[in-house]
Amino acid sequence: MLSKAVNYLEEALITFLMAAATLIIFVSVVHRYLTGVSIPGLQDFLLTINLSWAQELCIIMFVWMAKFGAAYGVRTGIHVGVDVLINRMSHENRGKFVVFGLLAGALFTAIIGSLGVMFVWDNGAHYFFYKLFGMNLDGLYEGPTTPDLEWPTWFVYSAIPLGSYLMCGRFLQVAVSFVRTGELPHHDHGHVDGLEEESNEVKPA
Amino acid sequence: MNALIIFTLLLVLMLTGMPISISLGLTVLTFLFTMTEVPLEAVALKLFTGIEKFEIMAIPFFILAGNFLTHGGVARRMIRFATSMVGHFHGGLGLGGVLACALFAAVSGSSPATVVAIGSILLPAMVKAGFPPRFGAGVITTSGALGILIPPSIVMVMYSVATNTSVGALFMAGVIPGICLAFLLGLTTWYRAWKNNYPRQPKATFAERFKSFKEAFWGLMLIVVVMGGIYSGMFTPTEAAAMSAVYAFFIAVFVYKDLNLKAIPKILMSSANMSAMLLYIITNAVLFSFLMTNENIPQTLADVIVGSGLGVIGFLLAVNIILLIAGNFMEPSSIVLIFAPIMFPIAMKLGIDPVHFGILMVVNMEVGMCHPPVGLNLYVASGITKMGITELTIAVWPWLLTMLGFLVVVTYWPSLSLALPRYLGML
Repeated sequence: MLSKAVNYLEEALITFLMAAATLIIFVSVVHRYLTGVSIPGLQDFLLTINLSWAQELCIIMFVWMAKFGAAYGVRTGIHVGVDVLINRMSHENRGKFVVFGLLAGALFTAIIGSLGVMFVWDNGAHYFFYKLFGMNLDGLYEGPTTPDLEWPTWFVYSAIPLGSYLMCGRFLQVAVSFVRTGELPHHDHGHVDGLEEESNEVKPA
Repeated sequence: MNALIIFTLLLVLMLTGMPISISLGLTVLTFLFTMTEVPLEAVALKLFTGIEKFEIMAIPFFILAGNFLTHGGVARRMIRFATSMVGHFHGGLGLGGVLACALFAAVSGSSPATVVAIGSILLPAMVKAGFPPRFGAGVITTSGALGILIPPSIVMVMYSVATNTSVGALFMAGVIPGICLAFLLGLTTWYRAWKNNYPRQPKATFAERFKSFKEAFWGLMLIVVVMGGIYSGMFTPTEAAAMSAVYAFFIAVFVYKDLNLKAIPKILMSSANMSAMLLYIITNAVLFSFLMTNENIPQTLADVIVGSGLGVIGFLLAVNIILLIAGNFMEPSSIVLIFAPIMFPIAMKLGIDPVHFGILMVVNMEVGMCHPPVGLNLYVASGITKMGITELTIAVWPWLLTMLGFLVVVTYWPSLSLALPRYLGML
């Protein structure tokens, strides 16, 4: 139940970020050109809107999308490696290397996640939470903010620990299911939904 | 010495089959924990700031645009237009495939996507029209590789990220080599079809051509939006990518109506999946090149090579051989991100133009995508045609030889790539 909720949240988040970032850049470009066109009323109205933060927000959204999407990618098997050598091994040996690779992925993401926690904590999260609970703030650092949106950077960067730990969990999940069933998620680059049926109706011109 | 340890470690980790991004990251971490004095905070910071560049964000946008085009009926109309133009020559549908791939490459930045978009529609039609499956598979697998040479191109964005070269100039530099390669692949197709007497299409009348052009017009306009927008300075490459994603969405859903609104979330998610994978490799590759720069590896290597008197000709030959070998093991994005930071300083010391060097790398990647064991185009084509990899490998040979010949031309004739950006004043 919980894992289903996490799956759903993960998918909803990356889908939303992809769509929202695209729209934001589109709107900011259209806005930039429309403010140059003198339509009475509209121009004045548009000039009052400031969209200079669009690029920064787009970058933040894509960084979040990259971190959570990478975790989702473990589940869909899109992270490819050099499997030329291990594919020539016996079934049993290949399995050992696959598990080794998955555990290495878990180890790396766990280390990165922990580094991320330390970094986020030292750069403002510590201050924020102590302040929130009315605790002693002596010697604590409020942390920097982003240049345009002026959001606290610790919040923006918390994508790293969150995404990395999630990815670590995904690697372990895939490793467990591989040991149990011997199957790995596999991403098929050649698959396109709906094109199979369409292809039959295309007649040579 | 350190360089040797880093590369051995990376090679060993990669050969165990773990994701390339993870092996890059683990190499960096192992080295940092055991051998150097670089403060961990610096690494942590790099981890956050590695992909915080607006230029990099062109990659997810181009992937999204490509997916809308693939699912949205643009490819189908481009194929109709292409076959109505060149279908009456020998090997008609095959030539149409080359032209359609070139047109689709001008709106899409990825080469497997081009193979999928054109191949899944055209290959069954070719088999039905009486072409041997091998012929069609060979044409589409290799022509699909044009996707990364004809702008826009995701691999070029990767190169620009790794070396700080202008994306706009790289895009413009890809135009003429792209058209040349499309022509040469078409010539190969025509020659083989003429020799084996493959079927031709009846010559389309002017009215038919105009009709197919009119249908494909909205898709073709995208070329103007992207290239025109970047060249005129209306958009930065990233903005052009975002505009093309919105434009592609709009024509797929509202103009051609081939795409149901219900299918949109799925397309968004699969684009996010692919983009996140590439961005993850970039993050770790940035970390890796930070480590190398910190150890002064590229600079030392540059001094050694320049000192050895290898010269431009010898160096470029070595670069081609190394990249072709690497193409046997890794996919293009990783190769560019790992090798460009190492080779680039050497190329600069030898006075090679950064844009020309980029195009050379891209053409190399194209060759790597079309031959086993890891050529992604081959796997995609094999998925569409249900042919085995071994059979496909034989099928692509004539076109692969053409590409290799073209690679030599691109390597030793810089003006082929540089003429257009120079003429446009971008260099």
